Amino acid sequence: MKIDFNLNGVQVSVDKDPLSRLIDVLREDFGLTGTKEGCSEGECGACSVLLDGKLVTSCLVPLGSAIGSRVDTIEGIRDTKLGSIIIESFANGGAVQCGFCIPGMVISAYCLLSSNPHPTEDEVRLAISGNLCRCTGYDLIVSSILDASRRLA
Amino acid sequence: MNYVAFSLKQALEIRKATKARVMAGGTDLMVSAQRGEGMMPRFEGDMLLISHVDELRHIGFNASGELEIGALCTSAQIAGDSRVPWALRAAASRMGAVALRNCATIGGNIANASPKGDLPGPLYALDARVRLLSVDGAEEMLVSDFILGLKKTKLKDDQIIGAIIIPKMDEWFDYIFWHKIGTRRANAISKLTVTMAIKLDQQRKIVEDFRLSATACGAKTNRSREVESLVIGKKVQELEDLVAPVQEAFDKVISPRAMPVFRRTATKNMIADFFSRVARLPEERNME
Amino acid sequence: MDIKDPIKRMDALAKARGETKYLSDYRFEGALYSRMLRSSIPRGRIVDIKLPALPEGYRLITYKDIPGKNALQMITADWPCFAETDVKFVGETIGLLVGPDRELLQKLFDQIEVEYEAQEPAITIAEGLACKGGAFLNGNNVHCSLSLQKGEDIEAVFSRAYRIVEQEITTGFQEHVYLETNAAVCTKEDGRFVIYASAQCPFYIRKSVCGLLGLKPDDIIVRQTATGGAFGGKEHFPDVLCGPLLVACYVTGKPVRLVFGREEDIANSVKRHPSRVRFKTALDKDGNILGMDSEVVYNVGAYLASSFVVLQRGCFHVTGCYSFPSERTKGIGVATNTYPSCAFRGFGAPQTLFAIETHMNYLASLLGKDPLEFKRRYLIKKGELTITSGPIIEDVKLVQMLEQVLKASGYAEKSKAYAIGSGKGIGLAFYNHGGAFTGNGESAIIKAHVKLVKHLGGPVEILCGQTEMGQGFQTALRKIAAQVLEIPPETVIYDNPDTSRVPDSGPTAASRSTMVVGNLVYKAALDMKRRIDAGEDGFEVETVYEHPEGYPWDQSTFQGVAYLGYGWGVCAVEVEIDKRTAEPVVKGIWTSHDVGHPIDELICHGQVNGGVVQGIGWASTELLQNIGGHFKQTSLSDYIIPTSMDTPTMSVEYVDNPYPWGPFGAKGMGELTFNGSAAAYVDAVSRAIGKTINAIPIPSEVIMDYMLDKEASR
Ligand SMILES: Cc1cc2nc3c(=O)[nH]c(=O)nc-3n(C[C@H](O)[C@H](O)[C@H](O)COP(=O)(O)OP(=O)(O)OC[C@H]3O[C@@H](n4cnc5c(N)ncnc54)[C@H](O)[C@@H]3O)c2cc1C
Ligand code: FES
Ligand code: FES
Repeated sequence: MKIDFNLNGVQVSVDKDPLSRLIDVLREDFGLTGTKEGCSEGECGACSVLLDGKLVTSCLVPLGSAIGSRVDTIEGIRDTKLGSIIIESFANGGAVQCGFCIPGMVISAYCLLSSNPHPTEDEVRLAISGNLCRCTGYDLIVSSILDASRRLA
Repeated sequence: MNYVAFSLKQALEIRKATKARVMAGGTDLMVSAQRGEGMMPRFEGDMLLISHVDELRHIGFNASGELEIGALCTSAQIAGDSRVPWALRAAASRMGAVALRNCATIGGNIANASPKGDLPGPLYALDARVRLLSVDGAEEMLVSDFILGLKKTKLKDDQIIGAIIIPKMDEWFDYIFWHKIGTRRANAISKLTVTMAIKLDQQRKIVEDFRLSATACGAKTNRSREVESLVIGKKVQELEDLVAPVQEAFDKVISPRAMPVFRRTATKNMIADFFSRVARLPEERNME
Repeated sequence: MDIKDPIKRMDALAKARGETKYLSDYRFEGALYSRMLRSSIPRGRIVDIKLPALPEGYRLITYKDIPGKNALQMITADWPCFAETDVKFVGETIGLLVGPDRELLQKLFDQIEVEYEAQEPAITIAEGLACKGGAFLNGNNVHCSLSLQKGEDIEAVFSRAYRIVEQEITTGFQEHVYLETNAAVCTKEDGRFVIYASAQCPFYIRKSVCGLLGLKPDDIIVRQTATGGAFGGKEHFPDVLCGPLLVACYVTGKPVRLVFGREEDIANSVKRHPSRVRFKTALDKDGNILGMDSEVVYNVGAYLASSFVVLQRGCFHVTGCYSFPSERTKGIGVATNTYPSCAFRGFGAPQTLFAIETHMNYLASLLGKDPLEFKRRYLIKKGELTITSGPIIEDVKLVQMLEQVLKASGYAEKSKAYAIGSGKGIGLAFYNHGGAFTGNGESAIIKAHVKLVKHLGGPVEILCGQTEMGQGFQTALRKIAAQVLEIPPETVIYDNPDTSRVPDSGPTAASRSTMVVGNLVYKAALDMKRRIDAGEDGFEVETVYEHPEGYPWDQSTFQGVAYLGYGWGVCAVEVEIDKRTAEPVVKGIWTSHDVGHPIDELICHGQVNGGVVQGIGWASTELLQNIGGHFKQTSLSDYIIPTSMDTPTMSVEYVDNPYPWGPFGAKGMGELTFNGSAAAYVDAVSRAIGKTINAIPIPSEVIMDYMLDKEASR
């Protein structure tokens, strides 16, 4: 089935089964390997992307659900103003260790700060509660997101 | 062959013609079908993706004043809608984490009929109904009748859940208790969830209505009208004396296989806690 | 600039931008996919393997394809690359099915049938020791053992003791849950085998697998790819992937790729050793400890691999941060039909440290003493002997650290205010971690080399085998070199190691990288600085580890100075328990660590956060059962690690205690940070519910069991 959607601002089209996993299409058909696969079952958040601005785990999204929608991946947001502020804060704030969870964390942070630019610590913790990180214990990720929030004009 | 429907009419027609299994958010189905990196998920038989059927995405009151929640409404949508009774909102707001709540639908949660599903608990307690649609017409039944047991429902192979209907109740209940014990503090599957609701008479002396349901302690959500009748009509002041008989009666209803001591003890403790709090007629209506 | 002042991590931007490539992000032209065929029974004999008709290009690689020796050379070489006739645990590799198309490969894989003759397995420590089903190793199922005794003979102490207290403490399996699952590719470039792997120790892989083809380590190149977490789980374990991949590449002549799925990874990878520690403590009539005897048993699983060293470290830490007049311990590594256990952050120390802290708390509560006052009296000091009868070489600053934690946490007021059993509790633990390899292992076994290159007219490059797996080493090591050379750290080149380019500087393990390899780079940089200042350019400096004189160690008797320097820690944890549901909430975490002099406080901070939270996970929700040889919790929805909402922001402090043999005074810390939070957490829960807890993990249902158990009252 021919499936059209908007990927990081560009109109794209693939011919695939509508129940293919979005993550595979992103990583294998489009080479967007910034989206990571950590569990394949919606638990870890490493595969997080935005579907029409909403946070989703791309390992669970059937490609067909993206028809006519907009998908934003880490590659799409990293050079936006908000994206680069978050990434800068992560890099300065010690938020990144092995890095495998980080693109997903950045997407979650981006999603949070887009709708709530000045969250409380609890709101930050809630926003990333679906992103498992085994390295950092989360504290420096949380403080980096709060730092990004302060740096938003 | 897998299908994508773009309208309710189309969805019902495909369903009728092909018996293809419905997929909504996919958060249950994509997990069970996944085979890892780069592999096409494996489904038994054909699938029908209905995530684009916008007709099933509304929340609103119908002509009889009942609240209708479209089957495709997500947990995030339900959690954020103040018209939805608190216990259902609370349950929706604690399902999985942010991304999951953006995809998981109420229709899927019911049709999946998992004993650990979070929404049936409050829906049972609220006497909610499902509306089942097919090309040949609609039928309605209580959610508690629709779910037969572990992964079993009364869904016919040409039907799609259209909506969930919550009967009209003035300001719902006076006191609602809902508590989920998850595997951790967020992003957690339920180990046990208890929903209770009490409606008082005008003088706030007599219990006019009482509801009690528990999930994740048996093959399906548990509710027993017999147990509830032990409380209905009784004085608020007597509530604390009713703790023991209610606990005992409800204990016979639930059937936890794993962690039975934990589930039974925690259920009893929550009943006791709710009754003792309500007996004091506090200001706060929603209790966790 | 003080070296401890934080700088931006070198790897952070690329990782946060999603540009860093991990193994599964690479494409290898013409690569075959592979699926591991594994034993589905814990113990028995393979009778037959029934294969479907395999199309051209598909092949099952087995032990028969190995031209050399069928063994993975870890610390011992008992773990075969492929099982031949006997299988000893669920998940043991039998074969590797390879082929070009993933879907077809899977279809063929699903059709393979292995017929077994099953035998009764031994799964638990008790079953292993009892030789359930008949011993399968050495006639007694004992893989390894050791004994240590310090001071007066413990039997004599028991005979004059006023009171003897016994306690048994157990800990469970723990899964690493590195976010990136295990993955590797083996290919051939210019006639040489090249392995790309998500791994901690490229040189270990080379050594481990070369014998399969009858090759020398140098004949094989291993290149580490960016590694998405490891925690010990990628120390020896990558050998289990790389061995079969090497044989498959040899047979097919094509690149072969293997990337584990999450369930596959949890079900079929090494774990932290479950443990059983039994204490027997002699007290005088005033409640003073006269001596402590212990038996430390670790569930090693079917193969020894690295476990004897893990057990040794466990035994060396069994008296924790304390010194008693008489100490004895016996360690046993028991063979069972479970997946072999292996390295995991702490390497055997966390189990005994949890046990000793828990035992000390138990003694205090039996004696009606304040646990903190009770423990303080026995805190080990500089010059006092450890259980290996060697002295502590450094100042021990635990008292100063304790003051920091007490102040930050309000421990004193809280432990008074929260009555035992009140639902609220605050707990505290002391812990340490011996840095680097035990005794003279660094000089006798590892013999680390590093090179520092000044490229002619160009930058400085560090050549060593140390890997970045998240701990921040690529930043720390550049900082060390740059600080000495007085150049900006970002100008120093330090790539992921390629064994054909860099010298073997030993494994990235044992908290040794900063204190040992960092010091070699430090020394090399001093030399380089001198030569640059003298006008030289375009040269290399190589340094080799030398053990300082005067700190003897005998590896055959385990006597002497086990560690030149320890990391030290104090951690307090506050919890509140919902009395209805036994749900715990962590209300606060306060820490202080002695890591010598930190190389970068922000990197250290991240290590503290991660280690402490991982330790709380181990103690609380990370239940991993093995039922009949199969791990039961094999997905991330069943195996429960902490989320961002499970612990609050913690307090992180340090004391400065420069280590004379470390770069800028730094010591190891990666493992230390894991070693204490479990005990502090359990102490807090125990106080909150008023019960003695002697086993972890304690998810809420277990806490409920304790709450209902009248016998456990404290
Ligand atoms: C990481 C993760 C965490 C989770 N956490 C929770 C949790 O905390 N609590 C909880 O309750 N659940 C949880 N779930 C389970 C799941 O998200 C819910 O059951 C969800 O509500 C299912 O909805 P869906 O639309 O995604 O279902 P789908 O996967 O699309 O479908 C599920 C089932 O319902 C049927 N179905 C769906 N819609 C209809 C319809 N309109 N008519 C007829 N049949 C239909 C499908 O055929 C299928 O049998 C979790 C799942 C994941 C992956
Ligand atoms: S890979 Fe999708 S949530 Fe883990
Ligand atoms: S940084 Fe390693 S998992 Fe988050």
